[in-house]
Amino acid sequence: SRQLTASVSHKIGMEKVIIVLLGLVALASADCGALDRLKVKTEWAQVYGTSHQRVEFGQKVFKGLFAKDAKAVELFKRVNGNNIYSSAFKAHASRVLGGLDMCISLLDDEATLNAELAHLNKQHKERGIDAAYFTEFGEVLMDVIPDWLDHSFDKDAWSACYKVIADGIVG
Amino acid sequence: NCAGSTAHVTSTGQTMLRYLVLLALAAYASALDDVECCSLEDRHEMSAIWEKVWSAEFVGRRVQVAKAIFHDLLEHIPEATSLFTRVHVEDFDSPEFTAHCVRVVSGLDNLISLLEDPDTLKEQLHHLAEQHKARGGITKAHFTAIGHSFERVLPQVASCFNAEAWGRCFRGIATGISEPLPV
Repeated sequence: SRQLTASVSHKIGMEKVIIVLLGLVALASADCGALDRLKVKTEWAQVYGTSHQRVEFGQKVFKGLFAKDAKAVELFKRVNGNNIYSSAFKAHASRVLGGLDMCISLLDDEATLNAELAHLNKQHKERGIDAAYFTEFGEVLMDVIPDWLDHSFDKDAWSACYKVIADGIVG
Repeated sequence: NCAGSTAHVTSTGQTMLRYLVLLALAAYASALDDVECCSLEDRHEMSAIWEKVWSAEFVGRRVQVAKAIFHDLLEHIPEATSLFTRVHVEDFDSPEFTAHCVRVVSGLDNLISLLEDPDTLKEQLHHLAEQHKARGGITKAHFTAIGHSFERVLPQVASCFNAEAWGRCFRGIATGISEPLPV
């Protein structure tokens, strides 16, 4: 990259190099930038895109969440959280993932994303869900997603972009 | 609806047998409800049609299709407009209405993905039924109307649209969601 930097500086001058470098620093700090969003969308499409594995994926996420925090099961009494293999819980898991799918797909449309996050914020507030659960849910998601990808997983991009979504829902 | 096949069967066989078959079919139909009228093959057709319409990563296509469907619905049933004031129906391009459109097509996407898991599908239909009931003012007729809108819009965006298979499965889904709603 030093060689690249040198040849670039030779061509377009020092000022532009500084701008390019600043841009790279911004990307490296994983702030859920435009390119992070594209990558997250692509990786998510691999995980969620084909329908037959969705329920199984959702069960794995909730299995992980309940293993991490047994108290979380209480929140899902209404949808039979005690049995993640029940139809009621599978339907619930499919709704949660559907919501996540909407947010991830909207990552490149800020205005609509914010409208959707506001909608989800209202839904979750009515249920009185603690912000800490969103952090745990995110951690489990980061654990499970790579298992469903057939190649590399950009954890920095995911963590940063998941935070945008979770912060929006928690409000 | 399964009524057609029931009538067909009753035209064959003797009176007593006919009666028994009818009873059995009636029990079968009520136990399995209308979703079962969309066969396994129909479900595959519906999924294949939907896959052509859906875009996994970007919502642009979903939004355009959903907006075309709502445009068609409100053109045919203008009085339904008032049902969507909460989501800024007066401005189709507002983030609120766009997000609403994304929720509707994502909801359908979710149902289509559950076609292979009928028990979970039923739970989800029940959940959506309660959501629609709670909104108030939504009728069974509205679901029939939006079904027609789907049938007018989707062939414009999906090639090889199988109207019959789609129609059977969509009616099954719509019947499930509108079950507790007034006519």
